[in-house]
Amino acid sequence: MRLPSLLREAAKTAWATKVPSALILLLVTVMCAATLATVGRTAAAEAQLYERLDSAGARVLTVTEPSHDSHELINPSTIAMTAGLSSTERALGTITAIDVVNGAVGEGGERVPAWGVYGDLEQVAVLESGRWPQPGEALVSAEGMERLNLDAPTGWVAPTSVDAAEDWAVVGTFRPRPPFGDYAAGIIYPLSEEAAVTTLHVVLHDANLAGAAQSAVLQLLDPPAPDHLTVQSPLSMAQLQEELTGDFTTFGRTMLLGVLAGGAFLVAIVVLADVLVRRKDLGRRRALGASRGVIIALVVLRTAIPAMAGAAAGITAGVAAARAFDAYPPWDFAAGTAVLAVLAACVSAVLPAVYAATRDPVAVLRTP
Amino acid sequence: MLSVENLTFRYRRGGEELFDDLSYAFEPGRVTAVTGASGRGKSTLLYVLGLMLTPLRGTVTLQGNNVSAAADAERSRIRAESIGFVFQDSALDPTRTILDSVTEPALYAGWSRSRAQEQGRVLLERMGVGNRADHMPGEISGGQAQRVAVCRSLVTDPAVVLADEPTGNLDQANAEGVLTALSEAAGAGALARTVVIATHDPFVIEFADEVLAL
Repeated sequence: MRLPSLLREAAKTAWATKVPSALILLLVTVMCAATLATVGRTAAAEAQLYERLDSAGARVLTVTEPSHDSHELINPSTIAMTAGLSSTERALGTITAIDVVNGAVGEGGERVPAWGVYGDLEQVAVLESGRWPQPGEALVSAEGMERLNLDAPTGWVAPTSVDAAEDWAVVGTFRPRPPFGDYAAGIIYPLSEEAAVTTLHVVLHDANLAGAAQSAVLQLLDPPAPDHLTVQSPLSMAQLQEELTGDFTTFGRTMLLGVLAGGAFLVAIVVLADVLVRRKDLGRRRALGASRGVIIALVVLRTAIPAMAGAAAGITAGVAAARAFDAYPPWDFAAGTAVLAVLAACVSAVLPAVYAATRDPVAVLRTP
Repeated sequence: MLSVENLTFRYRRGGEELFDDLSYAFEPGRVTAVTGASGRGKSTLLYVLGLMLTPLRGTVTLQGNNVSAAADAERSRIRAESIGFVFQDSALDPTRTILDSVTEPALYAGWSRSRAQEQGRVLLERMGVGNRADHMPGEISGGQAQRVAVCRSLVTDPAVVLADEPTGNLDQANAEGVLTALSEAAGAGALARTVVIATHDPFVIEFADEVLAL
């Protein structure tokens, strides 16, 4: 039998036997909708959590050298080498923040933190107005401007510490880039090459690279003693991410298999009932020349047709239901669910189809 | 040509053996009525000839080939291409049109739908039911349904047509129409085919060219 004829026969059979077709459609709809409403929500939650865990804040490796015992391990050379690592998205150095006040107001003014940054300031900030600062100049955040009582990004700021003699002219405003959101509270200024940088910030491409990146950075810095440097690593975050992903995957897989197996079992019962009711029709087909293979293909395809319609309806309903709970199942998960549901329905139809194909057509035709 | 040699059949182990080593040649171009008392195996012989049952002993030979021992797929192919069936109750699918019912065996034989429909329309016209091609089986009479069943049995131009009590549910006028159609199907000369009818109806027996009494 030619494939177009086979498909047409299956479609006509599915249309002619409306009750089993409707039941198969309904079951597959429920399978898909239930999967998306449960496993899909889990997948969406997993995706959201993964997104959060993979945010810039969760990808920062911070290495601090004590200023009182500095070997100047964090210097322009090691910062540049760290920036060159394949796992590095951005690398820069900072010194401990100091307090500054509006120079025009003087000591009585409100204090805001000032961060000295070694490296391209574009790595930590987006210029919102004015220009990028030169040595001796600074950018101020919107919050910093307000606290410093600056009407415009002009003027100057002065450190409150007697140790810091430098003043900075304000030449523009900035918005901090993640993960340097803390800088929104004050000002940033560029450090010169001679500055004693104490902290190295490394933003990684992926939190999962934390282990390898940490080893590589420590190898570059080569501390004189293992406890000379303080390291804050997203390694535990990466491990947490891995564990959560594993937990979600196991839960989702178990739930998915449960829904599919339950649905497939019910589809198999419907298809079996259908072939029992239609045994005369199938016996006639065998007598007229349909091979066992054709009968099996007809039964499986007549199941697949309402199953595909059910999958489309179920995915639509499931996505809508998941969105009602603010969960957005990934499209590939939704498509995969539809394919799996249709496959499960087809596989569940195979046994009833084989049963139908192996019945004795003579016994069927001669039974009143 | 269709023939059987030393044919014996039984439904189950220990059951009654039928046909008792029957040997018979069913001639092309002739209508053979298989008759006998109830339980002698008239319909069973048709199903053995139609390769739906496998004989206990003996062979069924079709066009020179021993087909009774063929694999199921091969027997299905032979049924679709070379054997036409007419059942007692016409056995038309109530969910499809008359034309679709007629074309069914041709589709199993691998014909394209258009070719099968073309052939089906020709046969329906010839049997006087061409105007019913797009009707459903429930919309035609019993006599028309049986003529449609004859059309279905001929759609692949088979070498053999087997009819199981084809007039059992018909009045004499309709029965005559169906028998005439089967007789015409037997044809003559190079286009001749074998027609075998299982029956206990004296009218059919009288109509047949040959009678095989079981």
